[in-house]
Amino acid sequence: MTNESGENPIQTEGDIVTCRKLIRNVTSAAGFGMTDVTRIVTAVSELARNVYVHSGSEGVMRWQILDKPGQIGIQLEFEDFGVGIPDINQAVEAGFTTAGSMGMGLSGVKRLMDSMTIKSDVDMGTTVSITKWGRAK
Amino acid sequence: MKSMEHSHSKYLSNFDNWAEQKRFVDFTDKDVEFLKKLHPFAVEYADTFVEKLYSHLMTFSETKRFLGDEKTLMRLKLAQKSYFIDLTSGEYGKEYFNSRIKVGIVHQRIGLSPRIYMSTYCYYMQLIIPHIYGNPAFDADTAKGIFSALYKIINLDQELAISAYIHATDEVISRQTEEILEMSTPVIQIWEGVVAAPIIGMLDSSRTQQFMERLLETIVTTNSPVALIDITGVPQIDTATAQHLIDTINAVKLLGSQVIITGVRPVIAQTLVHLGIDLSGIVTRPTMASGLKVALDKLSIKVIDSSKE
Repeated sequence: MTNESGENPIQTEGDIVTCRKLIRNVTSAAGFGMTDVTRIVTAVSELARNVYVHSGSEGVMRWQILDKPGQIGIQLEFEDFGVGIPDINQAVEAGFTTAGSMGMGLSGVKRLMDSMTIKSDVDMGTTVSITKWGRAK
Repeated sequence: MKSMEHSHSKYLSNFDNWAEQKRFVDFTDKDVEFLKKLHPFAVEYADTFVEKLYSHLMTFSETKRFLGDEKTLMRLKLAQKSYFIDLTSGEYGKEYFNSRIKVGIVHQRIGLSPRIYMSTYCYYMQLIIPHIYGNPAFDADTAKGIFSALYKIINLDQELAISAYIHATDEVISRQTEEILEMSTPVIQIWEGVVAAPIIGMLDSSRTQQFMERLLETIVTTNSPVALIDITGVPQIDTATAQHLIDTINAVKLLGSQVIITGVRPVIAQTLVHLGIDLSGIVTRPTMASGLKVALDKLSIKVIDSSKE
């Protein structure tokens, strides 16, 4: 049950659907409540779409179930090999976009999750890591 | 059925590419000559081979169920025999090409997996090999040439059948995808002046396009001032989905009608707030029923419970 982990490629728009479905199943099985599952899956949808839109071809989502006494958690990592983010602080500002979208994605994900870290090198790619904790059932 | 015929004919038009495929496996006139040398033996032993093959197939429940009654079996054996004889006939033109394509298409339709097809070919090879290498009519070099030619033509056969099989499966998938897309975004008139559109599943860009077109069209044809978009069946809303919804709502506004979003579940409301999506200018209701009430109020329609009069 614990220390479960896995990964899923993000190369086509269909992969976004697969990621959502996978994480919905994984988090439900791990014992997250309905509200948390929806939050996590929304964040996954957001970040998987970012990878798909910005990376061009290859991207990957990695997930791992975490466990602490009385708590369950999930850590997710979204890696792409796209153009990178020159200014991370600007990227997480609500309303900032380079893709003609709402620009609420990263700032929204930060609020949906307990923590979010972004590592990015221009022209090398971006890795976004997020973590969410919930009460164990 | 119709689309299967269609895919069949579409695939057949690729016959020109087959010459290239022959070149790829280095199938030359020399190979044709070698295969012709084997032909008399193929004709002589065809019946025996087919009998052996079918008694082998009869021992597996998976293949046995395809063989059917006595009459079907007879027909299949005859078809198998001519298929086998054609293999060494020396004629590898359009007719041959078509017959191999058809195998893939038919197998896909009846649900006979490529695994069975490939294994059956392997069994054939085992039956044929002794007639190549153990045959006093062929010296060592001829036997080697025949074997190599046979291997090539079988490879060409398999490529055609498997490609046709995959092609037929792709056809089915793309047809079903279209059907699902059509089915999953219905727009219906539920009252004079009110249309409703329940969305089931995620709203991605291709669906949004279809959905928006249909919604706008129905609003115009039914002359409806109000449209209810019900999101009860949407598992989660991310910023891309929200953007699609807002675009749709703006398009409806341009027609002079109003959208009411219904079926906003508590979890969805919470995530929308967290995402920072502003829906303040949009009328939303938790259920389709309460949304309909708003719509009727707007149209100054009163629904009276006649039992309470």
